[in-house]
Amino acid sequence: MAEQGGLEGSQPVDLSKHPSGLVPTLQNIVSTVNLDCKLDLKNIALHARNAEFNPKRFAAVIMRIREPKTTALIFASGKMVCTGAKSEEQSKVAARKYARIVSKLGFPVKFQDFKIQNIVGSCDVKFPVRLEGLAYSHSAFSNYEPELFPGLIYRMKQPKVVLLIFVSGKIVITGAKIRDETYAAFENIYPVLTEFRKVQKCIKTLIADDDDDIHLIRMGGFNNFVERFEGSLYSKRYYKLNLICSRVCFMKCLLSG
Amino acid sequence: MATFELYRRSTIGMCLTDTLDEMVQNGTLTPELAIQVLVQFDKSMTEALETQVKSKVSIKGHLHTYRFCDNVWTFILQDALFKSEECQENVGRVKIVACDSKLLTQ
Repeated sequence: MAEQGGLEGSQPVDLSKHPSGLVPTLQNIVSTVNLDCKLDLKNIALHARNAEFNPKRFAAVIMRIREPKTTALIFASGKMVCTGAKSEEQSKVAARKYARIVSKLGFPVKFQDFKIQNIVGSCDVKFPVRLEGLAYSHSAFSNYEPELFPGLIYRMKQPKVVLLIFVSGKIVITGAKIRDETYAAFENIYPVLTEFRKVQKCIKTLIADDDDDIHLIRMGGFNNFVERFEGSLYSKRYYKLNLICSRVCFMKCLLSG
Repeated sequence: MATFELYRRSTIGMCLTDTLDEMVQNGTLTPELAIQVLVQFDKSMTEALETQVKSKVSIKGHLHTYRFCDNVWTFILQDALFKSEECQENVGRVKIVACDSKLLTQ
């Protein structure tokens, strides 16, 4: 738990385990357990609190508890799925609470084969990522179809997890069975993300798109260029919006051009 | 037309049931007729709420418990605020039982 606070620098991050200095936050844990007895779902739905049972829609009782805030799917076979916990321990505590609720209704429940089935974590690397470039150079693992889904789907082989990578630098890691797989996957992908870090160069594409413009900036400076520019090619409003990011880019332009 | 027997537990429904019981007991009404009256009551309540009641009430509170079973929702709210156009009232604990009226037309 302490590690999750490491993101904001309130807790020191173990750099041997997290060389990137970032620790993915666990967002959802899915676990299963076998209560090992046949259950009368209607009876459970009628007597337990916070239960839903609509057999026409779904053949399980959906039950929720507030602490740990989770949802359970309880099947007539006695099998149960517990979702929504933020840590492995909380998932187990929640599953035990559900088992206790069912046992209090008079069913001879056990608590067999508890297993974490999935761990979902997320992270923000705080810089934009060039997804096209990443998809091209890691084509064996990547699936990037921006018209279908805005994130890049990265199917990592070792550890075997799936990452959703967004332009914003926000990452979702899913498919891990233990939290170290989530951490390892993030440490694997982090150098790749830095490699495909997006450099903002709006000025080159938006404004100074020909050599004349660049020459003008060199000769007359930034303000002269702006004066010439206003009211001509782009509307003033559009220009103002871009002014702040443009200034930075102008500098880059002058230095590199 | 199928109806819910939901409204028999309301004040007006309980009063009607008591009166009918009394009339059946002193022989002014046959039990069959009393049941017929109750069925008519179910129909009339459904119809009246559908066609004659125009006012709307909003209920807002902390959901303590919910249940959905046999197409009936049950909610227990704490510190609920009942609001209509004219007045509003706070209730410490309230139980809401709701059925899907679409099931009646099927």
